[in-house]
Amino acid sequence: MTTLISKPEHQDREVHRVLLGKKQILVTEDEPLLPQLERAGVQVEYQCREGYCSSCMIKLLWGKVSYPVEPLAWVNSGYMLTCCAIVKSDIEIAML
Amino acid sequence: MSYSTFNRKQFDSLQQPMFFGENVNVARYDQQKHPIFEKLIEKQLSFFWRPEEVDLSNDRKDFLKLEEHEQHIFLSNLKYQTLLDSVQGRSPNVALLPIVSLPELETWIETWSFSETIHSRSYTHIIRNIVNDPTKVFDDIVVNDEIAKRAISVSKYYDDLIELVNLYNTLGLGVHKVPDRGEVVVTMKTLKKALYLTIASVNVLEAIRFYVSFACSFAFAERTLMEGNAKIIKLIARDEALHLNGTQHMLNLMMSGRDDPEMAVIAQECQQDVINIFVEAAQQEKDWAQYLFKDGSMIGLNAQILGQYVEYITNVRMQAIGLETQFATKNNPIPWINAWLVSDNVQVAPQEAEISSYLVGQIDNDLDGADFDDFDL
Ligand code: FES
Ligand SMILES: [Fe+2]
Ligand SMILES: [Fe+2]
Repeated sequence: MTTLISKPEHQDREVHRVLLGKKQILVTEDEPLLPQLERAGVQVEYQCREGYCSSCMIKLLWGKVSYPVEPLAWVNSGYMLTCCAIVKSDIEIAML
Repeated sequence: MSYSTFNRKQFDSLQQPMFFGENVNVARYDQQKHPIFEKLIEKQLSFFWRPEEVDLSNDRKDFLKLEEHEQHIFLSNLKYQTLLDSVQGRSPNVALLPIVSLPELETWIETWSFSETIHSRSYTHIIRNIVNDPTKVFDDIVVNDEIAKRAISVSKYYDDLIELVNLYNTLGLGVHKVPDRGEVVVTMKTLKKALYLTIASVNVLEAIRFYVSFACSFAFAERTLMEGNAKIIKLIARDEALHLNGTQHMLNLMMSGRDDPEMAVIAQECQQDVINIFVEAAQQEKDWAQYLFKDGSMIGLNAQILGQYVEYITNVRMQAIGLETQFATKNNPIPWINAWLVSDNVQVAPQEAEISSYLVGQIDNDLDGADFDDFDL
């Protein structure tokens, strides 16, 4: 379930759960998924980190993500680009 | 039929397929059937660089200090890359321009090929700076067996397509008797099949074959050796990421049937051929890694690790065009390579403590957990 938390120094922030196998990582909408996964110790492939090389593509099993800027890489349905997608709901992902 | 450099017919270019429709007439970019190719052109232009801007004087000193087997690794990769970019600097133009039907795609092909010529020029720049006699290095490219094997597999599909298109443009569709070659069947289907396999093999060339050399170049740079070279390779890798985007789009558009419904049928029929192209190339690259390290490995890299990386990157590339991955390696065995591959203008996520840990800690307490009992928190 997506949680709304209030903190004095920030605006209300949406926090979502990202499920990856048996792991759960909590992420915000403040930045794309990739750096948040990295800080959580999850190794994700990347190259350009700006949406054109498709190296960071992973499976999006369910849930919603959005792209503030339309990426140049082709994204098949059921997949997402971690470097530029903002997580918009709880989601479940899978690597290769 | 016969190619025209300025098609006099009146037609709506937005209704044309990417290939084998009308020859392009007006080079206009105010409207595009596939805007991605216009975006790739702009991006590629914004990436423009010149090899001479990279200073290689330290590389010369480094090179002299390398052990003999390391010099072999370095020069062999350079030779292989020279081969690949020699092919790429001309073949998209020769093979694809006669059959392209969209102005934005036509210009993307030319822009793409042009950027490959910069890569070729950069190899001359590197070789000139590190060895006294560049001719020795260049001359070996055509006689070296290990490189020759690869030359055949990277040029074969292009050459087949070019032959078919030449026959098509001079004699039209039909079965043609060609001296030394026998009967060649030229139908829309054989043409489109040859095109599809060519694009797949180019995708493999740019998205997989280059990465073995990239890994070696960056492994030297990790030891602060050959850093000028690494800088150049970084720029090349950035370009190649755009090029592979281009071929991935072409393949995905063809498969989807959105561009040319007939192409979707061909893509379906050729799926196993394409899988084979990927698997064979991966094997060749693994063999190449064996050849590179035949006299000794380098710190941080050996034939086995590099072989695993080839399998891994092949999986990544296959997934990008919707193909079943073929190798068991699901993790990058040399994750440090990505920090080298990333473009300078983009910051790699720093391990900043800032928001997340504080925030995450707080949120953890709010979990009701009911839905996620099985997950480690
Ligand atoms: S890292 Fe290149 S598209 Fe995400
Ligand atoms: Fe290139
Ligand atoms: Fe390329």
